[in-house]
Amino acid sequence: MTNTFSITDRASWLPCLELLGRVLRPGIILALSGPLGAGKTTFVQELVAFLGSKDMPKSPTFSLLRTYRLQNELFKRLLHVDAYRIENEAEMMILNLDEELEEPGTIAAIEWPEQIPLWMAERADRVVWLTIKLEGGEGRAAEVMYRD
Amino acid sequence: MPSEQPLRVLGIETSCDETSISLLSVSAEDVQVEYNLVSSQIDIHQRYGGVVPEVAARSHVPEMIHLLTEAFGEDWSQAFDALAVTRGPGLSMALLVGLEAAKILAVLSGKPIVGVNHLEGHLASAWLNAENRKRWTFPLLALSASGGHSELILVKEVGVYDLIGGTRDDAAGEAFDKTAKMMGLPYPGGPQIEKLSLLGNPGRFKLPRPMLDEDSLDMSFSGLKTAVRQMWEKEAEMFARDAQARADLALEVQTAIIDVLIEKTRRAIERTGVRAVALVGGVSASASLRARMKTMLEERFPGVVFLPSDRAYVTDNAAMIAAAGSWHLLKGESHDPLMLDVDPELSLSPDAV
Repeated sequence: MTNTFSITDRASWLPCLELLGRVLRPGIILALSGPLGAGKTTFVQELVAFLGSKDMPKSPTFSLLRTYRLQNELFKRLLHVDAYRIENEAEMMILNLDEELEEPGTIAAIEWPEQIPLWMAERADRVVWLTIKLEGGEGRAAEVMYRD
Repeated sequence: MPSEQPLRVLGIETSCDETSISLLSVSAEDVQVEYNLVSSQIDIHQRYGGVVPEVAARSHVPEMIHLLTEAFGEDWSQAFDALAVTRGPGLSMALLVGLEAAKILAVLSGKPIVGVNHLEGHLASAWLNAENRKRWTFPLLALSASGGHSELILVKEVGVYDLIGGTRDDAAGEAFDKTAKMMGLPYPGGPQIEKLSLLGNPGRFKLPRPMLDEDSLDMSFSGLKTAVRQMWEKEAEMFARDAQARADLALEVQTAIIDVLIEKTRRAIERTGVRAVALVGGVSASASLRARMKTMLEERFPGVVFLPSDRAYVTDNAAMIAAAGSWHLLKGESHDPLMLDVDPELSLSPDAV
C-alpha cells in the first residue's frame, strides 16, 4: 500500500502520523528516505511527540543512534538511527539493532537507509518506508509504503 | 592535590568513532599528558598488515588491544595509579569495549576507577592547557560545539553542571559538514568551508540566523541546509563557474553558524554572570570562531577569562577523559568496578555525573 501526504508545515504531518499510528507495530523499522534538508529529523520530532514523549529528538548523524522513551500503550522506545556516516554495512553491527528491537515496545526510525541496502533488504518484511520528496520552496510530499 | 607524587591517571575513551587511551600525570604544580593515543591518528592498519576484518571497523576491539599493548609494554600494572573511562553518552556497544577493558585493569591492578561523562571530558579538554588552568575560575560557561554536540553548559563547580542551552536539531559541526556537502566540498566540512571562506567577500548572500530572535539559549541549525540548498539550486550554473560566488557563500555559511554560537554565548554570559568561558569540541578548532569569541569577550565582558581548548584535544580523545576523571579522583570519588556500567543516554544533569 502507498499513501501520499502533502506537507507544508509541522502541523500538516498529522494525517501521515495517524496512518503510521495504525501501521507501526513493535519491532517495525521505519525507513526515512529523502535528500539533505528534506526534514527527516523534523519528522522524527513530530513522530516522537505524537507517540507521547517529551524527549526532543536531535540529529543522530554523529552519534549514529539516539534512544527516546515513549509514553504510549504500544510503544515504549524509539531508536533513532542515522546511516549517513556508515561507509560499510558491517559497521551496523555496533548498533546491535536486532537485539535492541526485540525489547518489548521498541521501534526504529532509520535515516539514510540507502546507505545500507543489504541490511535493509535482510529485514524487508518488517520495514515501512517513508519517503520525503521536495516540491520546490518549503513544500514536501511524504509517501508511506507498507504491507497490508 | 598531592604535592609530591603525581597521580597518574589512565584514560580510556571509546564512545563513538575513536578508540583512545591516554596517561595523564596530575600534581599540584603541573598536569602532563604523558601520551594520548588516538586510533584514527596512528597507522593501525599497517600494523595489522592491512587486514583488519571489516566487521571490526567500528568494534574498537583490535584498536583497544593494540593501544593497550603500545602503551604498557610488559610492566603494565605499575604504569598508572588510577583509571578513568567514558561511561556515556555514546553507543552502548562501543562504550562497553572501553569500560570492560578498564574494569578488568582496575580489578587486576586494584587501582581505583572512575566512570566519566564524555561531555564533562570535553569541558576538561580546556583544562589540559596550562595557561587556562592558571586562570580557571567558577562559575564558568562552556560552549561545547562539535559534529555531535552544540551545548551551553553552566559549570558552578566540578561536578555541578547545568545544561542551559543547546541545539534543537543539528549540531554546529554537522551544519558545516552538510552544507559543505551540498556545495560539493569534501568531509569534514568545517575546515573546507573555513579555507574557502578566506577568499570570500561578505554581503553577497544572506542566510538565516535561526532562533536569534528568540529569547531562549537554544539553537537550531537544520534550517541552514534548506536555505543553502535553495540558494545553490537556484543558481547552480553560476556557482559551477564562479569560484568567487562559492567562496562568498562559504563565508556566509561560516558567518551564519558562528553568529548564532557567539550571540547565544553572549546572552548566556549576561544571564549567568559567569567569570570564565571555555570553548571546546571539534568546531572550536575554527580560527574564526576563536577570534570572534575572544573579541566579543574583550569588548562586551572585560574581566571574563577566555579558556579555549588546545586544538590537539578538541576532538574525542582519552586525555580529556583522564583529566575529568582526575577531578573526581582528587575529590576522593571513585566507582566500584563491578558495579560500573555504561549509560548511552547519560546527560549532564547534576545527579547524572
